[in-house]
Amino acid sequence: MKQLFSVILLLVTCYTFSQNTTIASGEKLKFSATYNMSGLLTELAEVTMETSSVKTSKTTLLRLKCTAATYSQWDGFFKIRDLYESYVSPKYLTPYLYKRDINEGGYYKFMQYKFSHKKGSVSSLKKKRNSKGEIYKKEKTIPISKNVKDIVTTIYHLRNLSLDQAKVGDSQTFKVLFDNIEYSLTISMMGKETISTAIGSKECYKLGLSINNSDVLKGSTNLLWLTADKNKIPVYAKFKIAVGNGELKIKSATGLKY
Amino acid sequence: MRKTLIILGLICATLCVVLSVLPLYKLSFIPAVLALGFGAAAIYFSNKHHKSKKTIHLVFLLSIIGMSVSIFKTVTETSEIGDTEVLNKKVQESEEDSKEILEELDIEIE
Repeated sequence: MKQLFSVILLLVTCYTFSQNTTIASGEKLKFSATYNMSGLLTELAEVTMETSSVKTSKTTLLRLKCTAATYSQWDGFFKIRDLYESYVSPKYLTPYLYKRDINEGGYYKFMQYKFSHKKGSVSSLKKKRNSKGEIYKKEKTIPISKNVKDIVTTIYHLRNLSLDQAKVGDSQTFKVLFDNIEYSLTISMMGKETISTAIGSKECYKLGLSINNSDVLKGSTNLLWLTADKNKIPVYAKFKIAVGNGELKIKSATGLKY
Repeated sequence: MRKTLIILGLICATLCVVLSVLPLYKLSFIPAVLALGFGAAAIYFSNKHHKSKKTIHLVFLLSIIGMSVSIFKTVTETSEIGDTEVLNKKVQESEEDSKEILEELDIEIE
């Protein structure tokens, strides 16, 4: 009886945790991407994360949109205009469509994933500019494992984790599909910290991020701070790069659920 | 030793001026401090051996110019995103296109 009760409790808990309880439509987070070398901060770009509702004839989905644009002083040197978006179910954040349209200093790339969770596959479409300046297309169907998400959905999904129950040293691995390759992203709890941000002094969960089979986000020096409240806003992120650090700092947060 | 210090000072001072006119101007403070340090050490050796200080003055002058430009830019420049008209248009077009794709997709309603 006791065991049965434990199993029911576990199932109920898992069900509750997999649900989206944090992200609502109309949320807008603005960040400033900076390069930090020996304490000298150089602002590079503005990153915006927005959510909105999208209605189709069958259902209403949540659109998770991330844009990045370099500040005007950088535009003459290396202009970035990136768009990442994902269309997910509002209840479970299950991705159905993902698009990545990047334009970085003349480099152009477009990726689109149509998720088919029933078949366990993704129809991928890649558009890229070749050396002649012409854009070519490449379509592919990729088999995916269960619970694979795109990068945008994964970022939002992190905010739905029940971090209040996690202990220092606890870790969880997520499957992320990026550039047609499935990566394993490991998140580890590093404790709680109070940090000063543009939206006030916030008590935060400090998380360590690492991608197991990639050169990007390698090691334990990539950190993310999520506010230790119901909204779990990502307020600060720090990434180790070849020389110095890349940082993402929150500038404003509006339309939050709580 | 004096010559090496002057050469290092000149390299750092030139780097400081170059960085100060680029968007990464805040980094110009690093070569500026180094150039001033090399310049000060070169002055010490020049005084000791009674040699000319003209090139060292050039190191100081370049460092001060670079630092002045950087300080001016730090105080006056504000970070504003450039023209996002194309991006905004792309965002809108993408939403319309996505709606069409989503209509075709087999979405399990939860």
